[in-house]
Amino acid sequence: MTSNRSSRKIKDNIAKILIYIATSITILTLLVILGFVFYRGLPGINREFLTRMWDDKTTIVTVEKDINNLENKSLNYVPSLGIYIDLQDGNVVITGVEKKSPALNALNKKGEIYRIKKSDIIERVKKIDLREATSLDEAITAIEGEDTSLDLKIRRPGGGILPMVISTLLIIVITLVVALPIGVGAAIYLNEYARPGKVLRVIRFAIQNLAGIPSIIYGLFGMLFFVQFLKMQYSVLAGSLTLSIMLLPTIISTTEETLKEVPNSYRQGSYGLGATKIQTITRVILPSALPGILVAIILSIGRIVGESAALIWTAGTVAQVPRALFGSGAAAATLTTKMFWEIQEASNIDTATSIAVVLIVLVVLLNLFSKLITNKFLKRTGTGK
Amino acid sequence: MNKTSIKDSIAFKNREGNEKIFKYIFLSAALISVISVIAIIVFVFGKGIRPFFGDDAYSFTNFITGLRWAPSDNEFGIFYMIAGSLLSTLGAIVLGVPVGLLTAVYIAELAPKKIEAILRPAIELLAGIPSVIFGVFGLGIIVPIIKDISPQQSGQSMLAVILVLTMMILPTIISLSLSSIRAIPKSYKDASYGLGASKIQTIFKCILPAAKSGILAAVVLGIGRAIGETTAVMMVAGNNSGGIPLSIWDKTRPLTSNVAMEMGYASGQHQELLFSTGVVLFIFIMVINYVLIKITSKVGSEGEKR
Repeated sequence: MTSNRSSRKIKDNIAKILIYIATSITILTLLVILGFVFYRGLPGINREFLTRMWDDKTTIVTVEKDINNLENKSLNYVPSLGIYIDLQDGNVVITGVEKKSPALNALNKKGEIYRIKKSDIIERVKKIDLREATSLDEAITAIEGEDTSLDLKIRRPGGGILPMVISTLLIIVITLVVALPIGVGAAIYLNEYARPGKVLRVIRFAIQNLAGIPSIIYGLFGMLFFVQFLKMQYSVLAGSLTLSIMLLPTIISTTEETLKEVPNSYRQGSYGLGATKIQTITRVILPSALPGILVAIILSIGRIVGESAALIWTAGTVAQVPRALFGSGAAAATLTTKMFWEIQEASNIDTATSIAVVLIVLVVLLNLFSKLITNKFLKRTGTGK
Repeated sequence: MNKTSIKDSIAFKNREGNEKIFKYIFLSAALISVISVIAIIVFVFGKGIRPFFGDDAYSFTNFITGLRWAPSDNEFGIFYMIAGSLLSTLGAIVLGVPVGLLTAVYIAELAPKKIEAILRPAIELLAGIPSVIFGVFGLGIIVPIIKDISPQQSGQSMLAVILVLTMMILPTIISLSLSSIRAIPKSYKDASYGLGASKIQTIFKCILPAAKSGILAAVVLGIGRAIGETTAVMMVAGNNSGGIPLSIWDKTRPLTSNVAMEMGYASGQHQELLFSTGVVLFIFIMVINYVLIKITSKVGSEGEKR
C-alpha cells in the first residue's frame, strides 16, 4: 500500500513537472518572440519612420521670393525664402520654415501648391547643383540672387511607413464595408430564419470549408478572379474583396454566437407588441447583439492587419498611397505585406522588425479593445439575467 | 392622420411583401458563402488542371511523383514537396500537441486565478501575432542557431520549419483543448476524486479521455494550419530545388512555399503548374476539413447527450 502510494506520488510529480515545462515553453515562446522583435525593431522606430513616405520624392517647384524681408541673412537663415537651412551629410536640409515663408506657397510644375516642409532637401537652385555643396554659404548665395522667382529641386526624404499605414486602413475599411453586411446578414438568416434541412446543411458546410481554406488559396483565387478575370489588376479593391470572403466565416460565427445569446423572451416581447419579424431583428435583436458584432469587427481587423499570403498577389507590394480603388495605380502594400517583401526581396531584417513592432502594438491594442467590449457586455448581461 | 400613422398603414400593407424580401436578402447573404466556395474550387481547380490536358500537356505522373522542380529544364516534380509538407506538419504536431495540451491542462486545472489571468491574454497575443513575424523570428534567431549546430551548411532547414510551425499552432491547440477540457462536467471530476484518485490521475485518466474528441479537433485544426502556412515557412525552409528531406537538417520546400516563391514572375505553363501545386494543397486541406467537420459534429452531438 505504501509503495503504491509513493509510486503514485512520483508519477504525479513527474506529470506535474512536465506540465510546468510545457507551460514555460509556451510562455518563453511568446517572450522570446516579443524580445527579439522589440530588441531589433525598436531602434528603427522614430517619428520619421512613422510619418514619412516610403520612397524619396523629388519635386521641382517655383517660389516667389519675398524681397521685402529685410532681416539680415545669417549663417543658416535665408531671408528671401523665410527658411532655415543646415548642411547634413552633404545635403542642404531645411531645418525650419517661417509662418509667412513664401516656401509654403511654392508651385510644382502642374501649378499646384507644394508646401515645402521641414527636413526637405534642396538639391538644386536654378542651374546650381547643391548636392555637392561644401558650405552653407554656397546655398545661401545661390538662393539670394537678383531674380524674384526661383526654381528649386526639392527632395523629400522617405524611409517611413506612412503609405502602408494608409493602405492598411483603406483595406480594413473596404473589407469591412463589404464583408460585415454579408456576414451579419448570413448570421441573421442562420439564427432567425433557417429551418433544419438541406439548404442549412449546405450553407453550414460551405462556411466550415471557407474557414479551413488557407490564405494562400484565397490569394490564388483572388488573383485569378478579381485581379485577372474582373480585370481589377493588383489593387486595394481586389485585395479587400479577397479578404472579405476569407473573413466571412469569422464574422458569421462570431455574430451567430451573440445572436444565440439574445434571450428568446426579447423576441417574444417584441412580437407581442405587434412588431414584425424585420422590426424585431433591426430594433431588438441587432442592438442587443451589437457587442458581439463589434468583437467580430475587431477580430476581422486583426486578421487583415496580419494577413500576407492572400494580399501579396491581389493587392500587390507597392509602397504607395493608392491613387484609385482598382486599375492602374491602385496597388498597395499593407504593413504586413511590405514587411514580408522587405525580408524576401531586400533581406532587410531591421526594417522588417521595426514594422513588426508597429504590428505587435496594433495587435495588443486590438486584443485589449475586444477584451474591454466583452467584459462590458458580460457585466451587462450578468446584471440583466 | 399624422405622418407616422400614414407611414404605419403603408407599412402594414407592405408588411408581408417586405418580410419576404428581407428573408431573401438574408438568405442571399448566407448563400454568398456557398457561391464563394464553389467559385474558389472552380477557378483554382480550373487553372490547376489545365497543364495536364491539351497538346503540350505536362505528364501528371511526372508532376505528382517527380523529385525535382526546375522550371528552366521544364521539370516540375512535386513529390518531394508533398513529403516536405507532410513531414514538417508531422514534426510540428509531435512537438506542438504535447506542449499545447499540457499548457491547456495547467491553465484549466492547476493555475491559480492570478496566473491564469496572465496566461490567457498571453496566449491570445500569441494567436494574434501575424505569421510574417514568426517568419522573421525564425530567420533572425532560429535559423542562425541551427546553422551553428547543424552538420550541414545552411540553417534554413526542415527543423527550422518545424519549430516555426510548432510556435504557430500552439495557440490553436491550447485554446481548443482548453475549451474542451472546460466543457467536461464537474461530476466527472467529483466521481474520480470520490474513487480516491489524485488530481493528476483525475486529469490524465478521467478529464483528458473525456475531452478526447475536442482535443482531436484541436490536433486536426493544427494540422490544417501547419500545412497551409505560407509566408513564415518560406522564409526558413531553404526551398531546395529537389530531393526529399531525409533528416531535419535538410532543406525542404513545402507546397505552399513553392506556390508563393515563383508566383510573382512565373507565366504560361509554369504558372499553371504553380496553381496545380495549389490544387494538391487544396485537396489535402479538403480532406482535413472533412475530418474536422466529422469530429466537431460528433463533439456537438456528444455534448447534447450529456
